[in-house]
Amino acid sequence: MASSSRPGRHEARWYEEAVFYELLPRGFFDSNADGVGDFAGLRQKLDYLQWLGIDCVWLLPFYPSPLHDGGYDISDFVTVAPDLGNLDDLVALIEDAHHRGIRIISDLVMNHTSDQHPWFIESRSSRDNPKADWYMWADDDHGFADVRVIFCDVEPSNWTFDQRRQQYYWHRFFHQQPDLNYDNPEVVDAMLGIVRFWLDLGIDGFRLDAVPYLYKAEGTSCENLPATHTLLRRVRAEIDASYPNRLLLAEVNQWPSVVTEYFGAGDECHMCFNFPLMPRMFMAVRREQRFPITEILAQTPPIPDGCQWGIFLRNHDELTLEMVTDEERDYMYNEYAHDPRMRRNIGIRRRLAPLVDNDRRVAELLYGLLLSLPGSPVLYYGDELLMGDNIYLGDRDGVRTPMQWAPDRNAGFSRADFAQLYLPPLMDPVHGYQAVNVEAEQRDPSSFLHWLRRMLLVRHQYPQFATGSLEVLPADNPSVLAYVRQTRVTDGPLGEEPGSDGAPELDGAPELDGAPKLDGAPKLDGAPAAVLCVSNLSRFAQPVELSLGRWEGCTPIELLGRVPFPRITVKPYSVTLAPYGIYWFELEER
Amino acid sequence: MHPTPSAFEGLVVPYLQRQPWFLADMSRFDRGVWATFQLADLEIVIDGRPGLASVVVTVGNRPFHVLVGWREPALAPAVLGDRQGAVLGMCDDGSGDVLCYDALADEELSTRLLAVATAGRERARRVRLVHSLVSHASLVYDERLFMKSYRVLEPAPRPEIELMLKLEEVGFEHTLRPVACWERSGWDLALVREYIPGAVEGRLLALTSLRDLLGRNLDDDRPKLDEVGGAGGDLSSEVRRLGETTGSLHLALAEAFGVRALPAGDVPRSAAIRVHGDYHLRRVFRTDAGWIVGGFGDDPLIGKLGDSTQSREPRFVSPLEDLADLSYSLRQVAAEAVAAQPAVTRVQAERLAKAWERRNRGSFLSGYLGVGGIGRLIALDRPAAAEAIKSLVTKRATAT
Repeated sequence: MASSSRPGRHEARWYEEAVFYELLPRGFFDSNADGVGDFAGLRQKLDYLQWLGIDCVWLLPFYPSPLHDGGYDISDFVTVAPDLGNLDDLVALIEDAHHRGIRIISDLVMNHTSDQHPWFIESRSSRDNPKADWYMWADDDHGFADVRVIFCDVEPSNWTFDQRRQQYYWHRFFHQQPDLNYDNPEVVDAMLGIVRFWLDLGIDGFRLDAVPYLYKAEGTSCENLPATHTLLRRVRAEIDASYPNRLLLAEVNQWPSVVTEYFGAGDECHMCFNFPLMPRMFMAVRREQRFPITEILAQTPPIPDGCQWGIFLRNHDELTLEMVTDEERDYMYNEYAHDPRMRRNIGIRRRLAPLVDNDRRVAELLYGLLLSLPGSPVLYYGDELLMGDNIYLGDRDGVRTPMQWAPDRNAGFSRADFAQLYLPPLMDPVHGYQAVNVEAEQRDPSSFLHWLRRMLLVRHQYPQFATGSLEVLPADNPSVLAYVRQTRVTDGPLGEEPGSDGAPELDGAPELDGAPKLDGAPKLDGAPAAVLCVSNLSRFAQPVELSLGRWEGCTPIELLGRVPFPRITVKPYSVTLAPYGIYWFELEER
Repeated sequence: MHPTPSAFEGLVVPYLQRQPWFLADMSRFDRGVWATFQLADLEIVIDGRPGLASVVVTVGNRPFHVLVGWREPALAPAVLGDRQGAVLGMCDDGSGDVLCYDALADEELSTRLLAVATAGRERARRVRLVHSLVSHASLVYDERLFMKSYRVLEPAPRPEIELMLKLEEVGFEHTLRPVACWERSGWDLALVREYIPGAVEGRLLALTSLRDLLGRNLDDDRPKLDEVGGAGGDLSSEVRRLGETTGSLHLALAEAFGVRALPAGDVPRSAAIRVHGDYHLRRVFRTDAGWIVGGFGDDPLIGKLGDSTQSREPRFVSPLEDLADLSYSLRQVAAEAVAAQPAVTRVQAERLAKAWERRNRGSFLSGYLGVGGIGRLIALDRPAAAEAIKSLVTKRATAT
């Protein structure tokens, strides 16, 4: 692929500094006026994504599917849904994206298939067919009795009886999604074949859906079992051997200490989503104090070199509240989902803008946190416009409505008849496409879209945001969250700094001979060693005094306006923040 | 190479006489006592230039501790900066004139003091003086260690230190771990504990909650179903966790010091234990790992200090006393927030603040009573305990 023009990027470790953009191909842009977005349409919008500053697009499932679960119920793993185009369209999309320095990753659902998948149709047909053992069958529904039901709103049990085979089959999600049996080596081989198929086509990696559940064992929670990790290491080894610079990004909705196991020793997934952080960012803003965030950061263990967190504000799923206490969940429901329609399973199905009452200041604060806390940010399509949601649509469709491109018919998304659209675009007076759309926001230099683009530009200039260490600074004012992101420069030849075991760099990442060694990120010429981020979580102006003695004599430069602030002295450094205000400062250590 | 004992005495006495913390402490004594200054103990901690001495002076039977530093007169102004109030005066250290001053104003000497107080086990690169109160000054080293340098001394073991060491012994974790104690000639001179950066005083957290509540509702006359619980900055879950921490503190104190029976006529159905004694929202801190009990004041633990004729016997009282102290502190913080409101919204703010206090007092008690084993300290059901605390709070309110 064409290399990015951005300075200092490691080719092999591109994901550590990348900004991801999650989109629903079906909902992005419709090129053939059939009411459904498609790959050819997405290709036409790559310029927009490049303009915005996106490094990697994560495509939500585009496989043939009966769509019982937003495409996560796949009925054929090795082609694309016909309404999105064909494999040639996808390859053309990948090539065009690569030409712009944008990578493409796709969802890979290893845990289950659709009940319409030929494998399952064959498996259920009898008890002795060649694929009889590809799924988890049992004569009764007593097995794995202690395992929780994830989609508890609609599924009474993880077992469903199949009339044809006269047996129960196991499913962790909807009953239309039978779990594959990974104890069968044929299943493992088949899945590895699918992985190779997509990588051969040029896909840059996978977002691994529902990985904790691959292996099951009686007497356990059937989550995070050692065999699952063994399989992931095998997938990773395969990729490292034959497909350099590709990415495995795991969806593991668990506590940080468990999630970090999915990095292995740097030999499993390159990235994992940090699920518990997300609800706590919202909670911190509502409570106007930083502890929900700092508490979870303190509980997050360090991760191996070459690994990175994926962090996000919102995504295609509900705002999951599995990783908070019952009490915190009640609080979040009370604050963010007073209408029961806003709730789903254990979570809140809302987009960012309605979650924050369309308060742009709060949205800016939350994005400020997202872009400066450890991890690669994953934006959800439309949230860059502060698009709204439609809580009257079923399941999670409320947050999957068409991208709003223009104030024209169908939000500029499609030229099909309105009734033909896969979902209606938003038309309410606050979030409707007449008011909120790309065209309008691109024209308006003070729009949220322009603000976010500028923030992404700044973020790209400072690798500290991506790979720097994090140090939360003490502050008496609980409404202020201040932290320093710092790339640590260590002197001495490569691999010989104290504590190094001399292990080779991952993926043969290029290093400059004799150049100072940086933790994770290459040091840019003249790049400062530290970035200070100060955020006011309160809707009132707040003062704070920070102890910045380490940078005594240095002049902080505010990153958006390049405004020099008063010099740091030995005394506590005083900063005053506007309501929901954020500052990013450059600090040069003396 | 250091000043003579008499030079120290000659400099320290007038210095003490103009210190607000000395005046505050001595205000309860007759002026006659003030003339009885005596150099009681002296240790040259760092001999040379700069130099450091630990000087104990008694006035009557009150011992005061001053850390004296000295340097060449020409160098001192650069070190002291605008802290001219710290200067004690000039004297001869054996090889010429030096300027003596309160060593806590000198960063280099304050930093080296850590090694002295920890018998060389700890060293630091940076120090900052946090505050200087009546009984002690507080210093933070490398944002990692915290030293309380006592000014008004107590015979060792100082109740605070005894309490902390005992709590450490019984495994109470919600406090700052003691690291070292600097003791000499039967006095505790300083206590070094771990420091948790980012810990926020309970009072500030409470004010944040009140700010949200008052800010959200005062401009809005519509009645709300649950306006306090519905406020974004609701504190109740935090206070409930504080109640749990308090419960485990009391169980640890009971384990460390034993449980006694309450004198007849006192709070019914409650044991007598060694309590915190000065338990309010400035004493507790929210950290990233939950609440900690940050400080144990000396006075309330053993009654008034000072006059040696007074009993130094630790007080064993009902644990409800601590609960009432904290609950009263909620009321005081609520009043503080109301007082900051403009007069025109004062009435509504008062109403809301009362509801806030009620809600959080309840949560605190729920957290406390939910701690396993707390029944052996308080054998009261929730309403009875709430009633008992309420009446103790009222007693505190009317006493002030």
